[in-house]
Amino acid sequence: MIFAAGTILPDGELSQTITRLAAEEVPRTLSGPPLEREVVLDALDALGQELDSGALDGLIVQYAPPGAREALERVRPQLSREALEERLALELGGLAGPRRFGRTQVLPLGVLLHVAPGNMAGLPAFTAVEGLLTGNLNLVKLPRGDKGLTIAVFQKLTQLEPRLAPWLYAFDLPSRDTAALRRLAALANGVVTWGGDEAVLAMRRLAPPGAKLIEWGHRLSFAYLSEWQGLDLSGLAEHIVQTGGLLCSSCQVIYLDTTYLSVAEQFCKEFLPVLEGAARSWYTTSGQAAQGALYAREAVLEQIVDRPESGDLVFPGKSCSVTLRRDGTLELSHLHGNVLVKRLPREKLLEALPLYRGRLQTAGLLCPSSKREELAALLARAGVNRITLPAHMSRTFPGEAHDGEYPLRRYVRAVDIEIQ
Amino acid sequence: MLSRQKLFWLSPPYDLPGSDRRFLRAVRDNCAYHISHCPEYRAICKAEGFSPDDIKTVEDLAKLPLLPTLFFKRHAVFSMPQWRMGMKVTSSGTSGSFSRVGFDWGCIFAEIPMVLRLGFYHSLVSPRPAHYVVLGYKPGKQDRMGVARTMFGLTHFAPPLSRSYALRWRNGSYVPDLDGSVKRLRALERSPFPTRIVAFPSYLWFGLKRMEELGLSVRLPRGSKILLAGGWKQHYAQEVDKGTLYALAERVLGISEDCVHEFFGAVEHPVFFNSCKNHRFHVPVYSRVLIRDVYTLKPLPMGEVGLVNLITPLINATPVTSAMTDDLGMLTPGESCGCGLKSPVLTILGRAGLADITTCAAGAAELLGKGEGF
Repeated sequence: MIFAAGTILPDGELSQTITRLAAEEVPRTLSGPPLEREVVLDALDALGQELDSGALDGLIVQYAPPGAREALERVRPQLSREALEERLALELGGLAGPRRFGRTQVLPLGVLLHVAPGNMAGLPAFTAVEGLLTGNLNLVKLPRGDKGLTIAVFQKLTQLEPRLAPWLYAFDLPSRDTAALRRLAALANGVVTWGGDEAVLAMRRLAPPGAKLIEWGHRLSFAYLSEWQGLDLSGLAEHIVQTGGLLCSSCQVIYLDTTYLSVAEQFCKEFLPVLEGAARSWYTTSGQAAQGALYAREAVLEQIVDRPESGDLVFPGKSCSVTLRRDGTLELSHLHGNVLVKRLPREKLLEALPLYRGRLQTAGLLCPSSKREELAALLARAGVNRITLPAHMSRTFPGEAHDGEYPLRRYVRAVDIEIQ
Repeated sequence: MLSRQKLFWLSPPYDLPGSDRRFLRAVRDNCAYHISHCPEYRAICKAEGFSPDDIKTVEDLAKLPLLPTLFFKRHAVFSMPQWRMGMKVTSSGTSGSFSRVGFDWGCIFAEIPMVLRLGFYHSLVSPRPAHYVVLGYKPGKQDRMGVARTMFGLTHFAPPLSRSYALRWRNGSYVPDLDGSVKRLRALERSPFPTRIVAFPSYLWFGLKRMEELGLSVRLPRGSKILLAGGWKQHYAQEVDKGTLYALAERVLGISEDCVHEFFGAVEHPVFFNSCKNHRFHVPVYSRVLIRDVYTLKPLPMGEVGLVNLITPLINATPVTSAMTDDLGMLTPGESCGCGLKSPVLTILGRAGLADITTCAAGAAELLGKGEGF
């Protein structure tokens, strides 16, 4: 399906739609009156109210995967008018204003092509909303797994506010249709790519040289534990089981502030029952527990087959496992409740972590409160962009940056105007 | 290595106690073969302190190193060079990743009596020619999917007069052609020969639903059958009750419930499981099934639900002796089925971790074989 300026078209009309976009619709929209921020805020507010009233529940049940309602509930506060206004003030406030030479004005980039992510329902709509808030015309390439939710949301939004229609397009086209993607990219002033290295590299090849590349790539996160003895580890264990290691912010490796293998081994022995407890309470179906157990078995086998001389120690548990590795590499864990433990004394932090700059995201820091400031500063210097409590690694905070940047700022340009 | 052929050629298909000795002997030989020819399997046995001599009784089968299908998806492990294999087959890759399993000539030779005996036992073999309508893949050189192979195999039990396929390989991917199949069925209504529909249950369900919605129905000639292979695959969420599916088949195609046969198997365990007249899967002598606890993977007693572990000495080319599927299921005593077969009944109830996995952790999409979220 294609969503073009308020109407739904069949996929067969892709080519004509892009031709029309290039020849008529983009020039017309961009040369017309700009998209008023208040119009966008009002429409989003109205959509939020529909969501709260349950009017969109049918839509969610029909199109979104199970669990989407809960996920939406968690991000709902960020979509309130108040939160969006705060975000605009935080991210764009102070960019415009008088200068010694005259003044600076903030304008949209123009046309944004969003290569939207498939890992969370609602994100394709969210990235387009960021584009709308900054006054851009948005072309969204939907992810493979989008079962119609995004187009339904766009339709709802343009019904609530028809003035948004010329600013929103969505295309359900496969990534291998590079010809169509190239044509869409040729229209864009900014290409917003969400996804792994493959997606990022593919879009770098397809985007025209003049387009600004805005990349929200995949990331890795870890927990950092210092003087943890006696501290509560259950929040960390619950985080590991709940996110299954699948998010950018999921803990893959638990780094321990120690040089001693024996201390790390002791930690694994103590942490395993805590992790098992989290698995027992979080896995509500046999299918979930079975998945954890299969990945735990796989963790054991991969140690034997792929890392025979490593000296790693595997601690298999019930539907989960802990693997103590001797190196300090930040790497993907065995997922689904199977986590890696490594030693990384604080003196080595600045040496080890910068190797992963551009990949680092969250550090869940657990330490006595007297040491928290110092360690947070160290982690920040090492390249980490978010430092949270281990239990909150995957929580979203209002006003937080996205992978170290303020996204709205990337979707606009500052125009300097000299006074005669 | 004759122990395997003895098991497959000499055993009556459902006499489990009578075949225990042959089965254990074949498993020991099969394990010993993998240990001496597959370095990965050897390393796992060594690490887990397992030796084929540990297998003395049927209960000892639980000691076999357990390899999940996930392992075969991530590792291409073989116990012989590829030129010695009869063929290589992959799982259907429902979610983007697939297992690679090699089949040796000895395995293919052992499959012959298994398929023939079971085919006769379940009245699938018929000298009367039939038309085949396959709601599945057309096997081609470009792919090696096990299900395509099984479905193609199923079109030989009665001499094939014609074959038509509902999924066609076009421009690098499969496209459904259900409308074409409906047209074909209408034409076959008037044939003097019966029709055999070979299908994925999900495709049959969607196809029949579509026909019913359009108000279409056919009356296929007497002796027509429906053969169902493969699981519900990506349509698990829409899985329907078997009774509802049979009733729909009767209404839309005129094929009665007793002419619907189901099969179960996996690329990692290519034993030919057939449904009995009560539509239950009794474990045949070529296989032993253990149900394992979803937390600890320890074997569970009869009647409890857990992960399905399938054991067979069938394959020498790939160490699939004891394969751990993603399926959840249970075993119940065969006697309680009422069809006359005494071997235990395997019931598949669901699948581990159904939720479609999508991820933004760096590298995880590739590891999970789900492709990029792009």
